[in-house]
Amino acid sequence: MEPKAINSGIAALDQVLKGLRLGDNVVWQVDSLDDYSYFAEPFADQAIRYSDTCVYLRFAPHPPIVGHRRGLVIKAVDPSLGFDSFTAEVHRVIEQWAKKKFFIVDNLSALVEEWATDELLANFFQVTCPFLRELDTVAYFALTRGQHAHSAVARVRDTTQVLIDVYRIKGIMYIHPLKVWDRYSPQMFLPHVVTEGRWQPVFQSGEAAAVSAIARKRPLHAMESSIAPWDSVYHKLIQYRDAGKDTQQITPEIQALKQEFSRMLIGNHPEFNRLADSYFTLEDLYNIRDRMIGSGRIGGKAAGMLLARRILLKEDSQIDFSQILEDHDSFYIGSDTFFTFLVDNNLFRLRLKLSRDSQLSREEFQDVEQSFLTGRFSPEIMEQFRNMLDYFGQAPIIVRSSSLLEDSFGNSFAGKYRSEFCANQGSPDERLEVFLRAIKLVYASTLSPDALSYRRRRGLGESDEQMAILVQRVSGIPYRHYFFPSLAGVAFSRNLYAWTSRIDPNKGLIRLVFGLGTRAVNRVGGDYPRMIALSHPELRPEVGMEIAKYSQHEVDLLNLEANEFATLPINEVVSEDEYPNIHLLASVMKDGYLSDLYKGVKLYPTEKILLTFNKFMRSTNFVKITAEMLETLDKAYGHPVDTEFTASADLEGHVKINLLQCRPLWLPGLSGPLKVPDNIPQDRTLFRATRVISGGVVSRIKHIIYIDPRRYAQINSMELKRSVGRVVGRLNAHPRLAADKFLMMGPGRWGSGNIDLGVNVSYADIDNTAVLVEIAREDSGHVPELSYGTHFFQDLVENQMIYLPIYPDDPDTRFNSLFFERSANILADLLPESGQFENAVRVIDVPQVANGAYARVVADPQSHSAICFLG
Amino acid sequence: MKEQLNPFSIAQKQLDDAAEKLGLDKATHELLRWPMQELKVTIPVKMDDGSNRIFHAFRIQYNTARGPAKGGIRWHPDETIDTVRALAAWMTWKTSVVDIPLGGGKGGIICNPKELSEAEKERLARAYMRAIARSLGVTKDIPAPDVYTTPQIMAWMMDEYETIMGEKHPGVITGKPIALGGSQGRGDATARGGIYVTQEAATAYGIDLKGQPMAIQGFGNAGQYAARLGEHILGLKLVAASDSKAGIYNANGIDVEALIEHKLMNGRVNGFPGAEEISNEKLLELEVAVLFPAALENVITEENAPRLRCKILCELANGPTTPEADKIFYDKGIIVLPDFLANAGGVTVSYLEQVQNTYNLYWEIEEIHWRLKQKMTRAFKSVYEMSQNNKVNMRQAAYLVSVARVAEACKLRGWV
Repeated sequence: MEPKAINSGIAALDQVLKGLRLGDNVVWQVDSLDDYSYFAEPFADQAIRYSDTCVYLRFAPHPPIVGHRRGLVIKAVDPSLGFDSFTAEVHRVIEQWAKKKFFIVDNLSALVEEWATDELLANFFQVTCPFLRELDTVAYFALTRGQHAHSAVARVRDTTQVLIDVYRIKGIMYIHPLKVWDRYSPQMFLPHVVTEGRWQPVFQSGEAAAVSAIARKRPLHAMESSIAPWDSVYHKLIQYRDAGKDTQQITPEIQALKQEFSRMLIGNHPEFNRLADSYFTLEDLYNIRDRMIGSGRIGGKAAGMLLARRILLKEDSQIDFSQILEDHDSFYIGSDTFFTFLVDNNLFRLRLKLSRDSQLSREEFQDVEQSFLTGRFSPEIMEQFRNMLDYFGQAPIIVRSSSLLEDSFGNSFAGKYRSEFCANQGSPDERLEVFLRAIKLVYASTLSPDALSYRRRRGLGESDEQMAILVQRVSGIPYRHYFFPSLAGVAFSRNLYAWTSRIDPNKGLIRLVFGLGTRAVNRVGGDYPRMIALSHPELRPEVGMEIAKYSQHEVDLLNLEANEFATLPINEVVSEDEYPNIHLLASVMKDGYLSDLYKGVKLYPTEKILLTFNKFMRSTNFVKITAEMLETLDKAYGHPVDTEFTASADLEGHVKINLLQCRPLWLPGLSGPLKVPDNIPQDRTLFRATRVISGGVVSRIKHIIYIDPRRYAQINSMELKRSVGRVVGRLNAHPRLAADKFLMMGPGRWGSGNIDLGVNVSYADIDNTAVLVEIAREDSGHVPELSYGTHFFQDLVENQMIYLPIYPDDPDTRFNSLFFERSANILADLLPESGQFENAVRVIDVPQVANGAYARVVADPQSHSAICFLG
Repeated sequence: MKEQLNPFSIAQKQLDDAAEKLGLDKATHELLRWPMQELKVTIPVKMDDGSNRIFHAFRIQYNTARGPAKGGIRWHPDETIDTVRALAAWMTWKTSVVDIPLGGGKGGIICNPKELSEAEKERLARAYMRAIARSLGVTKDIPAPDVYTTPQIMAWMMDEYETIMGEKHPGVITGKPIALGGSQGRGDATARGGIYVTQEAATAYGIDLKGQPMAIQGFGNAGQYAARLGEHILGLKLVAASDSKAGIYNANGIDVEALIEHKLMNGRVNGFPGAEEISNEKLLELEVAVLFPAALENVITEENAPRLRCKILCELANGPTTPEADKIFYDKGIIVLPDFLANAGGVTVSYLEQVQNTYNLYWEIEEIHWRLKQKMTRAFKSVYEMSQNNKVNMRQAAYLVSVARVAEACKLRGWV
């Protein structure tokens, strides 16, 4: 049975805390004593109503916390007598009045003025608080925020039953319970706005980020004790600032210090240095430092995110990004912390060994992961983790890898390291547990087989790759018992997938989803984000009923009730209730045509929601904002960029964007700049193309399936022609081909219903190929129009398949017909029953005919050039 | 284009065969070999960026002896006039086989709708309508949606037509949104028509379908409805279904509604719980009472036809079976319900839409179903009788029935 609840005198507070209890000590952490009085006054009234007396322990020089009233017993005690005598006196008073139950104590911070150390204050609290609890009383205490060593506050926190942060932003008061012993509600540990009536929790991420960030500039209290390695630079800069010197006026000395400070935080890549020096102010660097747990660098992902925001706010633009960008509200676990964790937990040598040479199986990696999960952090770091989690309360967070090499110029490491969502529900201890697990999993992912082989392939086996971590507030709003952003996605400043020549590849592309952006980032088979070509946002690579197939069917979200990440069908998430602004995001399919929704018109239970984002794109300037954002970043980076974002629109259609990530954009198969080689000798060149629909690099192509356009055209029987598609399908699924990479090339439109125009295949017949080439050979003066992949464009995009049309008769095109027509054909070996197609369908084992060399394709959509060559 | 693969040459060849069997006189035969009227138009359209693009388009009225031309408008980059001619001819036979008082027509615009914004599509639709409006009307020619054209495009075209005429003519085009005079029952019309003829075929051949297995190749719109209606109306049990990616099979039966939901959510049938994967080729060869090819052309050829083990092959897709395969089925005794009979439910409900527009009176769904059933049942019976009486396969019989009806109308009019 739950203990009896005691009123605090403020009903809304009782709702938040689920009531006070006898035995509670309540510590209010405040900026001003008026805020303490705000809560103490009604408490006194309530106490007097309950037991006709409230005892006020008075020892500080500040004005009284509660005004005189009948039933208030003021007991003065003198702290100048020293800790011992003062404490003994207080205990005598408590003992004498304990049966009256209710105590209000002056601001504890005043004791420090008398005793000069935080230590004694904490000692006083540590002996007094349990005494009050034993006597079943309820006592109010206060502390002035920011005046005490963190160790002292930590002891107060450990001892008390209830600890509440109180602060004001723009005159509005917020309370944020940090500890409420033995009580829980899903929203208890969120900041609450103090208004008339019920106090609303601040849960919408943008608002919460703004509230928390303004309220607590320095949320990590233990900072002072952990900055030793940084002393020289950081403290010098702080001294300049504290001495009132204008650090905006950058003198050469400050400039040098700033650069050094920036290198310590950001890293030492020349391109990043240039951006950091141009765009980060000293204040930005302080802000990073203030939110760093441990020491070291913040890693590529965090640096990219921060730089991109700064660029948008600083560069001249048609859009005022200060009105558009949501606060990011992030913390950085410094890269040194990773190192310390390895050393402290005897993992360092294991890592060294694995990085050097071992091939790790997935099963062996599970053991490695287990070793990481049992590792422990130092008490100082744990304290900062607790501070950070207090700061976020129960707001969901994401723990993202941000290694030194990741997302930098030269290496993307895309998808190699983990990111872990924490729904962040439960008691503070439970939340801490989940958070620690997430960090350890991210740390362990540096040794995953994927990451190790990527590093080795890139020649990074032993290079410095410490793992920093970016902890971000998850952007979104609560809806039912879920939490997710309205919109999220990835946006590229260049369009690698121009499915029609109308689309300008130099303008960007957005892949937009409803809910968490994981569905846009990870390519999920059978589920498709909305592709928006920024040069022509209204064009879709699908028509009519195809839109139903090529759209998003499931939503990634955080289930707060289950305290976990989940993927649910869209109709399950939004059908029962109306999601805010759903009419902007969804359409319904009626009798074969799409119908956009009207605001406030309920859906019929039978209507299936299709996420089209049609009205959102038309009625907000989201596309324009994103285009401007990408162009600005591209220009500042001096390189195409790849971003991750969340977005939302309010009821008036004003768009807010949270930029979560920005990194240089590399083509699929690459993590560095692409150069189409121009010095390949002719005898090694298989073809050169002058159009590229989707680009990238594919190396070690072992087989080429070549449908000879002339011989295909000569097939007179429709039946036989049709069968070519089936042969291609069987080759596609053939285990010998599937063991390596292969390339398919053939005449005209792959997938066309009209078999005279191209090989008749469905996507399943080609889905294993790495490269698909359409050959448009002039036939009787007529060059067939190619499909540009539109028959299965979305599938090509999701599988990151390279798609090229080539025009052999074009003077700029090179096409080594001899290689394709004369090389040994292994079709009959692979498919003995299809031997009759040998004339038209050729399968070439490249290393077999090219002295062991494989084929390689490099395709660059920007320059519209591609090459396939041996070597 | 090589002659034997030209779709119009194929259509003419099919007619030639029927004309020979019917003993048509030379003039009638020649009249039916060619479209009666062809309209070829060139349409300038202003694009969103201010540039102009010129589109080429057609409208073919193949034969209007039995009534105004009827047939869809296709938007496709591969469009050729011969494709449109062939499709217009097939529409003539289709309206005739279900005995609705309409002729055959078809239209097409050479364009890639994937390269057009909504506004550009609207301007193109309206421009096309302006170019051909004089040839259209409930007494002349009534278009409908087809490849890559939607109810929305029909609505724009109807509105443009009415603006030109200065009065309301909802019946000038069918396949409109219900809010603008579209008919109930359009969504499942094609599949429902196929189910009704399957029902008649089972009765005629004495096959009990209750609890028998069915397989569906192509689990798109028509395929899904066929599964649903096959279960509800015929009592069939779905054991296999496929889409362009793969197929699934469960001999004990597949929950149709759950599979439709699964397909909607996952975009594919593959991965449906409790079913094993099966290739499209193997699906066709399953021993089932009814096989519904509802996806692609020419999937059943002389190569795989000998391995098919269904009792009834109901062609919901256009042209799934090659003529060589037809011969094999006839010899094996597999009952083929040919495409232009089996999938005529769509045009029949289109016709019912036009009738309702003309009456300005709209029927409940039950009445649409009842009328559709009447038409499909009668159509089957005519074709079946023709097949039995003349010892020809069902496809040939369907041609004989429809060509004979059109020829008779031409004669009665004194054209030949």
